[in-house]
Amino acid sequence: MNKKNVIIGVIIVTIVAGLATAFSVPSSETINLDMERSHGTISTAMGSPLLGDPSAPITIVEFGDYQCHQCYNWFHNTKPAITEQYIDTGKANLVFVDLAFLGSDSPKAAQASYCAEDQGMYWEFHTMLYNSQESKINNGWANSERLKAFAFSLGMDLELFESCLDSGKYSKRVQFNIQQARDHGVRGTPGFFIVGPDSQEQLGGAQPFSVFKQVMDSMI
Amino acid sequence: MVNTIKLVFSNFKYLILSTVFFSTMMIGLLILSEYIFLEPYVVSHIPSGTELGFVLILIISALSALVIPMNIFRINILKKSKQKMSGGIFGSVIGAAAGACSCGPIGFAVISTFGSVGATATTFLTNYEIPIRIIAIGILTITYFTTIRSLKIECKISQ
Repeated sequence: MNKKNVIIGVIIVTIVAGLATAFSVPSSETINLDMERSHGTISTAMGSPLLGDPSAPITIVEFGDYQCHQCYNWFHNTKPAITEQYIDTGKANLVFVDLAFLGSDSPKAAQASYCAEDQGMYWEFHTMLYNSQESKINNGWANSERLKAFAFSLGMDLELFESCLDSGKYSKRVQFNIQQARDHGVRGTPGFFIVGPDSQEQLGGAQPFSVFKQVMDSMI
Repeated sequence: MVNTIKLVFSNFKYLILSTVFFSTMMIGLLILSEYIFLEPYVVSHIPSGTELGFVLILIISALSALVIPMNIFRINILKKSKQKMSGGIFGSVIGAAAGACSCGPIGFAVISTFGSVGATATTFLTNYEIPIRIIAIGILTITYFTTIRSLKIECKISQ
């Protein structure tokens, strides 16, 4: 009898220990939660890291291409005011999702941004690309060599960056993002979804700050 | 030159036609080139660094609105050939196409539909947007002067 109780006790302890171990290991759970990340109806799981306060009431989802001139215009003319008045103040955050369609260098540049993310420098690399954009598409400003040069100038581990970029590690991630854009009717870049607490609104093109302000203020 | 323009646009029908051409073309191109947005609010803005593109759109629209009605006048009133008309339309179309195929909806649709061929065409039209628009202005200017000369001879207009 005692022997039987001991065996049952051991089994119970083993099961409890197993369950405790399973629930205490965060890695797989965290990855699953990340994979489920969405804003409004858009899956942003494969998009950029969040820029700004994660608990901000509004999320701006930007679909963009690093070779797109209008994205460049938005980055330089509208985004600074949004950053200053909404992102830095905790009213909004921003996630960038690739719609890399303009030329063969566009998907490569998008992949490179995630290689930079591996080294914790996504937004620095993103900014570097939009500051370095040239007026012609596919003229070599965003080819593999230049992307590696950008990584080097940001002080990244170049060996790690090169192996990431050359292996096409994030090719499917970029394709997933492009599909998200198509699924949500984004028909050009930049395209935006302003996701508020109760609603989301789609904006097409490099619209001025006044439009974003009006939409976001109506949601807060 | 002034007399020739007066001859054509003294007819109210051609003045209306010109106004419709100008406003339709200008507003259409400004929307395609993202100087005007219709949704969610009607708003216009000229981002810094894009002023030249804006001015070229105005010039192409104005020249098209001048040249095309003059050529329609030639065809309707004088029953002359449509050859010069094609110069005006060609200039207008390439001027419009230069800005339309960028990262906006038309460029996206062209690439999605025609794949790598569409991508090549879009890349070309985007990369050479400004030179193409300047060439379009050149074609429209030449068409304008040849039309004026033809009308002077055909209508026997004095200087």
